[in-house]
Amino acid sequence: MNIAQQLINGLVLGSGYALIAIGWTVLLGAARLVNFAHGQLYMLGAFVAWAVMTKLGVNYFLAVPIAVVALGLLGVVLQGLMLRPVMQQNLTSLMIVTLGFGYVFQGGASRLFGGDPERFVSPLQSAEIRFGEIWFTWQDVLTLVGTLVLFGVLWLVLNRTRVGAIVRSVAEDPKLAQLFGINAVLVYIGVFVFECAAVALGAGLVAPRSPILTSMGFDEVILTFVVVVLGGIGSVTGSLVAGFGLGLFTALFGALVSSAYTTAAAFFVLLAFLVLRPRGLAAR
Amino acid sequence: MTIRRLATPLALLLAALAYFVPAVAGGSPVAYAACTTIAILAVMSYGADLILSYLGEVSLGHTIFWAAGGYAAALLSVNAGWSGLPTAAAAAVVSMVLAVVLGLATLRTREFVFSLVTYAAAVVAMEIAFNWSFLGGSDGIVGIPPLTLAIGSWSLSANGNDQLWPIAWVVLMGTLLFIQRFRHSRLGTSALMVQMNPDLATALGIDARKVRLGVFVASAPISALAGWLYAYQRAYVGPDMFETYFLVLMLTAIVIVGRRLLLGPLIGTALIIVQQTFFSIGGDGDKIVLGSVLAAILLLWPRGLVGLWTVLASRPRAPSR
Repeated sequence: MNIAQQLINGLVLGSGYALIAIGWTVLLGAARLVNFAHGQLYMLGAFVAWAVMTKLGVNYFLAVPIAVVALGLLGVVLQGLMLRPVMQQNLTSLMIVTLGFGYVFQGGASRLFGGDPERFVSPLQSAEIRFGEIWFTWQDVLTLVGTLVLFGVLWLVLNRTRVGAIVRSVAEDPKLAQLFGINAVLVYIGVFVFECAAVALGAGLVAPRSPILTSMGFDEVILTFVVVVLGGIGSVTGSLVAGFGLGLFTALFGALVSSAYTTAAAFFVLLAFLVLRPRGLAAR
Repeated sequence: MTIRRLATPLALLLAALAYFVPAVAGGSPVAYAACTTIAILAVMSYGADLILSYLGEVSLGHTIFWAAGGYAAALLSVNAGWSGLPTAAAAAVVSMVLAVVLGLATLRTREFVFSLVTYAAAVVAMEIAFNWSFLGGSDGIVGIPPLTLAIGSWSLSANGNDQLWPIAWVVLMGTLLFIQRFRHSRLGTSALMVQMNPDLATALGIDARKVRLGVFVASAPISALAGWLYAYQRAYVGPDMFETYFLVLMLTAIVIVGRRLLLGPLIGTALIIVQQTFFSIGGDGDKIVLGSVLAAILLLWPRGLVGLWTVLASRPRAPSR
């Protein structure tokens, strides 16, 4: 057992968790919305990129942006459909509606793409880097750097620009923001589109690690929950820290204790946190 | 009020008529299978209904109780040779213990955090069932004997759906009676008050946390009894009891007709199962139908088909919140 290798694995895993979760963190923070179709959107992102690559012969570096745009457009449609409960902030309805959407995506994707595991291949996945006993791939580097850049840009946009101020004001009080001439509908659509696009990017970078299945959304989303809740609802920095923390935890737990029960263990960490610190890491 | 005086005999009459539905529907094995399945899945939905309709929270963890009931029946009947009534009691106890643990852990959570944690708990429970050989692992537990109910020297064995139907009918009627009682109980009315006006509830001396925990624990054995019967119906339990299908089915069954209606989940389940049994368009197609119905109902007529009827029956007016 090589601790240094596990630490590297943990950082790579963690950046993936944080990247997949970021869309949801922003959605929660800015719009107080929950999207239970998140895992299925991840699945769709991976399958759209895969389909574009295998059916149209597009290369990986173009397929991922295509998937990001496609999911972004899907986000506009979804948010358009949900506009009434969104404006009423009817969270109970929205949770169930998105669960319904996720189920439709799963059924639709199995019809479109078939029920078999597929190989979504990134050329960087086979490009390895070795330092003595430690190794990782260029895909890992891309994921890690991509995550850090996306979080950096997002933090700057939210905290240092006019757009960020508008999003934060809608998050604070949508009605009051509207009184000041801010179009809350546009903000909600924008935030939702960001969520869909970000999860597609996450799928494009993370999904090549293992075969993709149309039923994978259900499992994929659980660690996103853990990251979002641990990081403190809606906190961008918090979810980055929570993502890396969870990545290190699962890598070490998987290597030292049991790989079959890593999700269960991550969940118990979450439960312990909820009891000790209900507001998450970011709480003051 | 004549209607109120007639309510009990009318309900008894309806219940008696319900017993003959499969016979009237042709008495074929398919009719008995469909009716038994509807009764089982409706009871499962009533468990989640208690949370959604009366606490106003979305529990995504009721598949845990449903599966706990099934696994309790399977383990005890296959490994220990227990008959139906003791396994039913065990199913209820196991589910209530799990509900106390999950309920205490989520006591301070609300809204989406509550839903997230219950959902996460269900995923983890599936992972445990899938990996733990004690629970049969990914293969599940096969060879569950036919359901046998024995009281003293009297005993009844149910083999096949036509013999299971009377038992399913009794469980369903018992559940309806329980829900009806719950609606008028102190716990039920307190839960509604906590949902509608938490401040008023607190001012009147109601402990919201106690009420939430109480309703959560009361709802678990309902879904567990459904799972208990499902185990005998299929003679098999496995990690597939945690599938999203059951979760989406529960929620759809509750919202399709309208929340807080006694017969709502039963009619909802019946509509879904009739579609899937007699008008199926393939497994993936049925998923699309079920998910779309769930989303469409809430987006178009948030109060369910009853709400739609009200809209059609009255003049169009601005929706009120």
